[in-house]
Amino acid sequence: MENIFLLSLFIDCFPKLLSRLHITLYIVVIALLFGMLLGTYIAVVRLYKVPVLSQLATAYVSFIRGIPILVLLYIVYIGLPLVIGAFGVNINRWDTMIFVMIAYVVNTAAFLSEIIRSAVAGVDLGQTEAAYSVGMTRLQTFRRIIAPQAIQIGIPALGNTIVSLLKDTSLAYTLGVIDVIGVIKAISSNTYRSLEAYAAAAFIFFILSSILEQCFNIISRKLGIKGTISGQG
Amino acid sequence: MIVVKGLCKSFGKQEVLKGIDLTVEKGEVVVLLGPSGSGKTTFLRCLNFLERPDAGEITIGDTHVDCKSVTKNEILQIRRNTAMVFQLYNLFKNKTALENVMEGLVTPRKIPKIEAEEISRKILKKVGLGAKHDAYPSQLSGGQQQRVGIARALALNPEVILFDEPTSALDPELVGEVLAVMKKVAKEGLTMIVVTHEISFARDIASKVIFIDGGVIVEQGTAEEVLFHPKEERTRQFLKRILPASDYSI
Ligand SMILES: Nc1ncnc2c1ncn2[C@@H]1O[C@H](COP(=O)(O)OP(=O)(O)O)[C@@H](O)[C@H]1O
Ligand SMILES: [Mg+2]
Repeated sequence: MENIFLLSLFIDCFPKLLSRLHITLYIVVIALLFGMLLGTYIAVVRLYKVPVLSQLATAYVSFIRGIPILVLLYIVYIGLPLVIGAFGVNINRWDTMIFVMIAYVVNTAAFLSEIIRSAVAGVDLGQTEAAYSVGMTRLQTFRRIIAPQAIQIGIPALGNTIVSLLKDTSLAYTLGVIDVIGVIKAISSNTYRSLEAYAAAAFIFFILSSILEQCFNIISRKLGIKGTISGQG
Repeated sequence: MIVVKGLCKSFGKQEVLKGIDLTVEKGEVVVLLGPSGSGKTTFLRCLNFLERPDAGEITIGDTHVDCKSVTKNEILQIRRNTAMVFQLYNLFKNKTALENVMEGLVTPRKIPKIEAEEISRKILKKVGLGAKHDAYPSQLSGGQQQRVGIARALALNPEVILFDEPTSALDPELVGEVLAVMKKVAKEGLTMIVVTHEISFARDIASKVIFIDGGVIVEQGTAEEVLFHPKEERTRQFLKRILPASDYSI
């Protein structure tokens, strides 16, 4: 019976896994930060229907959203050095972590751009026109009228994306990154057991996801009190 | 005073406005009539550049622009001399009634908040919403929302307020309260250009009625002339459709 699940090993796994948590969180934070920048840019290009760029952006978003993150990781890891190599720059010696980050940024940007775009488009054009009609500039209209409502609309989807991203980082180990998941490999080859380590990882991811979800619920509710999109004000 | 000369606007190949000329004196209430699709909305939206006219000249107050060479600054200038009341109210949904009215004073015109609030409270009271300052648009009826829309326009103290079918999205029992407010502000000498099918409003208030069809002004004159003694066949046809028989035979 005790061979099925070693409680002591399970407990021992926590410090080891948590010692690599910063790598996982690092991937999440970088992906969000740069994904938000790139995603905003893509959303703006699409919202303002910038010729050529907007078609490219649309293709980018639907392509990235349509392929598994694992495939994207390998495409970036193998493909990027080849493409950049063609221009005579050798990036084969780059830290693996850089390729991982690029893949997650590229992936997250596609999802975030879609959230931003639909949130902004979700604020009806009539309000923009009303703002113009009282003499507001484009920037004032965005800052005072569109952005506050778009944020309110987009927050729940943003929360979901961050939770998905957190879980998606679990594939980074395939390129050799030693994050929370990567360290499980080391543990299992030392102890010839892996269930305890995976169970500990499940626990850690579950707690983190729950905290994130809770945070976003609170933010949503806070914004909802002042805003009125739900209709109840 | 408002002077429009040779205003033209096309959407793609479709010519919607084919050279509109119009003069509106200070304090006049002009009612625009015309069948659906005749270009009434487009005309109003061209006056404050929500739609960019292809050609023509517009003078509103002391701002004069040639539509072909209009600059960003001139557009802002025109917009700050005009206000608009929309068919679907278009209130700012993230702001209370009071904030909706204040916004045009505080953000574009940089009027201090305290002063803007005082002005806005007064105007909300005037449109009969003194008790609804803190309500969000979603908590107001259609009639109340449109009255906030009118208050938002009034607060700007513009040269002219443009009304685009302000009562046509309202339940019939709510039309009266909005028309009453419009009549009240008309009597105070505000310059108004109103697209509406409310003939009673046109009859009682309009200093001038204009019938538009196919992107041109077909006929204009006093309410009496245009509504009850139209000269043009097209005007007669149109009125026959929208006027109750008894009204028309007066
Ligand atoms: N943004 C637009 N793009 C293309 N066509 C438009 C646009 N706005 C209006 N139109 C067309 O212009 C014509 C006049 O419309 P509109 O000014 O709304 O008429 P009205 O308000 O008199 O009913 C209609 O045929 C309409 O389809
Ligand atoms: Mg119309």
